[in-house]
Amino acid sequence: MGRSRIFGPLAATWFLLTLAAIGFATRMGLVLAPPDALQGNVGRIFYYHVPHSMLSLVWPYVNLAASIGFLYWRRRDPLKALTADALAIASAEVTLVYATICLTTGMLWGRVQWGIWWTWDARLTSMLLLWLLYVSYMMLRKFSSTGQTQTLAAVLSIFAAIDVPIVYKSIDWWRTQHPSPVFFSNDPDAGVDKSMMPAFVANIVAWAMWGLLLLAIRYALERRRQAREQDAALKAIEDSMEFTR
Amino acid sequence: MNLSWMFGPTMEQRHLLYVYVLVWVVQGGYAAWVGWQWWRSRREDRPE
Repeated sequence: MGRSRIFGPLAATWFLLTLAAIGFATRMGLVLAPPDALQGNVGRIFYYHVPHSMLSLVWPYVNLAASIGFLYWRRRDPLKALTADALAIASAEVTLVYATICLTTGMLWGRVQWGIWWTWDARLTSMLLLWLLYVSYMMLRKFSSTGQTQTLAAVLSIFAAIDVPIVYKSIDWWRTQHPSPVFFSNDPDAGVDKSMMPAFVANIVAWAMWGLLLLAIRYALERRRQAREQDAALKAIEDSMEFTR
Repeated sequence: MNLSWMFGPTMEQRHLLYVYVLVWVVQGGYAAWVGWQWWRSRREDRPE
């Protein structure tokens, strides 16, 4: 059985499983988890905000690995480089989607809790920088006509990856208005109550499954576009040879 | 599942609703765009 024949049913099964997981996780966040002791029901924003924020710091590393792969293979093995480039563009788009949601849901929460939409603290500013880097990445890929677009984009993705640990550690390195992290914090007052943890974990798993699905379909789409471009180039060469004969 | 408490006039209720709707719209919109491109590319690849 061909790879493309497996991909369709596999993607459909994964899609259904993911929808079920998102439905279950959303129900946990909105219904089963108790309201936050300090914030009340508005604290339920975190069940969507935190998973998207965490995952928006994971996808850039997929982008980084693919970009390094592209830079390594671009002269050694152009076919492998094309594969890496397809993964790079897919992961960049998924990063941008997750980072956009992280920023907008954070602003909607901040307006209620802080009374302001935005503040230039280290966490928010470094996250905005990451978002802008990926907007630049997408614009570069869309509008650049240098012939070195993929290489330039791969280098830009390295800069974006450098920003990721700065975003993550910004809460520890600087005094910020942003709340302490839910997971992996050294602060004894940080974290959430045990009763809220299942809803957080369910949402992280569900949105990670969704992100993987988007990544796989976008990657397959890019591979198809590359194959069509190669076919067109091959046909143009054949036509020109016919013409000169 | 009673979610009527989400649909109220206060800023807390409105912003909570906006977040959940916004996430579904952005994620669903991107998925729809990728799905549409996929469907279109399949149709173009099909031999005439």
